[in-house]
Amino acid sequence: MQIRQETFFTLALPYRERLALERAVFEGGEGPRLAVVSGIHGDELEGLYVCQRLAARLEELAKQRPEALLGSVELYPALNPLGLDTLERGVPIYEVDLNRCFPGHAEGLFPHRLADAAMRRLAGAALVIDIHASNVYLREIPQVRIARAFEGRLVPLARSMNLDLIWVHEASTVLEHTIAHSLNAAGTPCLVVEMGVGMRVTPAYAEQVTTGILHLARALGVLAGDLELEPADHAPLVADDGNVHYLNAETSGMFVPCVEHWIAVRRGDLLGRIVSPLQGQTLSEVRSPCDGVLFTLREYPLVYEGSLLARLMAAKR
Amino acid sequence: MKSGAPEPVLLHMTAPTREDFDVPCHDLGPRGGPPQVALVAGVHGNELNGVFVLARLASFLRQVADGGRPGAELLGRVVVVPAVNVLGLNVRKRAWPFDGTDVNRMFPGYDGGETTQRIASAVLAATAQARWRIDIHSSNLDFEELPQVRLFEPSDEEREAARWLGLPAVIERPVTPLLTATLAYAWRQRGGRGLVVQAGHAGGLQPAHCERLFRALVDFLERAGLLVGVRLAEPEEDVHAFGPRQSFPLISEQAGWFASRLEVGQWVQAGEGIGYVYDGFHGDLVAEVRSPVSGLLSGIRRHPLLCEGDLVARVLIREEVSFLPDTYLMGHGQ
Repeated sequence: MQIRQETFFTLALPYRERLALERAVFEGGEGPRLAVVSGIHGDELEGLYVCQRLAARLEELAKQRPEALLGSVELYPALNPLGLDTLERGVPIYEVDLNRCFPGHAEGLFPHRLADAAMRRLAGAALVIDIHASNVYLREIPQVRIARAFEGRLVPLARSMNLDLIWVHEASTVLEHTIAHSLNAAGTPCLVVEMGVGMRVTPAYAEQVTTGILHLARALGVLAGDLELEPADHAPLVADDGNVHYLNAETSGMFVPCVEHWIAVRRGDLLGRIVSPLQGQTLSEVRSPCDGVLFTLREYPLVYEGSLLARLMAAKR
Repeated sequence: MKSGAPEPVLLHMTAPTREDFDVPCHDLGPRGGPPQVALVAGVHGNELNGVFVLARLASFLRQVADGGRPGAELLGRVVVVPAVNVLGLNVRKRAWPFDGTDVNRMFPGYDGGETTQRIASAVLAATAQARWRIDIHSSNLDFEELPQVRLFEPSDEEREAARWLGLPAVIERPVTPLLTATLAYAWRQRGGRGLVVQAGHAGGLQPAHCERLFRALVDFLERAGLLVGVRLAEPEEDVHAFGPRQSFPLISEQAGWFASRLEVGQWVQAGEGIGYVYDGFHGDLVAEVRSPVSGLLSGIRRHPLLCEGDLVARVLIREEVSFLPDTYLMGHGQ
């Protein structure tokens, strides 16, 4: 097994520095290639830690049983390194969402060149896993989101990833500029993982997803079929737009939840309150509209009217 | 002077810790029936030219409507929304400041959705029924645009109306997936006629562009038959129309300092110098940027710090070119 870190693309910045995109490559045999991508949004760190956990597992494998890597694993932990290093969600300077710049263009504008560089390296992989960490406002249980158009190919892959939820959604046209859509449309399967919350790392989730990726790698033939792995004991629920309920704030204020994330709730259960720091009374009670499970819960307390507080997957009848 | 009656509002909202806020508008001219014209600016909070011009235009139209300009008359209802992203304007942010959402990626919006979806929905509800609709932008902090009309796969009526503004360039562009979340596209989906105007750059006022834009809007109202008895200035120079493949972007392959003496609106010849690039640290001359094509300089970089892959200038050309990839045509600062 060969392990290397390399810079695969750079762009010149105004004053001396260059922006460099880096990756780690674990090369075994001639088998399939698996790529893990994260950090497209500079405020999402969970995927970076998953990359670190995978690197640790693969380095260990290199010592213990290197021939078990039948294919290769590539880690792209920081596709928006300038955003990550300056704590900005978009691409600094341009204030654009890098995940609305794909597939990009080699001779286009700065963010489009970053997108193109990533696309060129990822094309042809047996699978790309694009890990997101929600945003700083909402906490998500580990889940995969799949656009309806790619459901047939991707849901079977997602089922073996040790996740808690698969959400098959209708895609809006604007999402055609995401890395996942661009890769899937070009024939390279790409799963979008959402987990945790922005600007934080949730170690338990990272371990869960790392286990899932290793199981998937084994199923794809990237890792040897007889490689022993810890059990993948999470079985996903499958949601679609028909049974996902959004709870938006009725008024502005501070949202204080009174339940834990990822629990079963009954219709009418109190999930939290919106209060004002200026008065003792509750401005708005937030109650579950259905029997179901709470898979998104607001982490950042201040809310405006309309701010998303929670998402529930209703039990299907 | 501000009249005594409270301004109508598109949307009233509570805020977490400060007082309630509104998205106000001016509703001018004869009431009854949907507006004839809806003018919108400040969807991005740092694009100031449109906000200033629409506030001044509202003052002017109110004078006309109140009989303060003898001989002039406002014959149709005009709704003017100087700033959609009110909080962004006040705290000098392009996006909605609370969550960084670009309001012009939230259309058509949803009145029960996220805050910016609600704002988008309210703006659309107040403007969609107008016969004519104009959304005014001012690029971004880096790049100055010649006052221009942008059309997206327009109807013949829109092509004709674009000329009523008398701005020097009318540019047609393709509908891209990114456009589908904008106000312009939401208008288009509801039928009727809509125009997008770009003028100047964000983060400041460029008085010459503002004056030109003000005159253009008055001319538009006059030619639409809504305003009579007003003559502000001599007619503008020729209006030039450019198709989707007649816009040539100059994208830098170098980084450093960029300096240019050119002004937007100049005609440049192939081979003519556009500006200079100097090494950021050593200061050495790295490159002289020359236009490979002849045409109208419709945009030029105003921020001096240049990255590899930055837009330096845009030249509108008379002949169509076939080699421009669609990525070049994606909205810049809109």
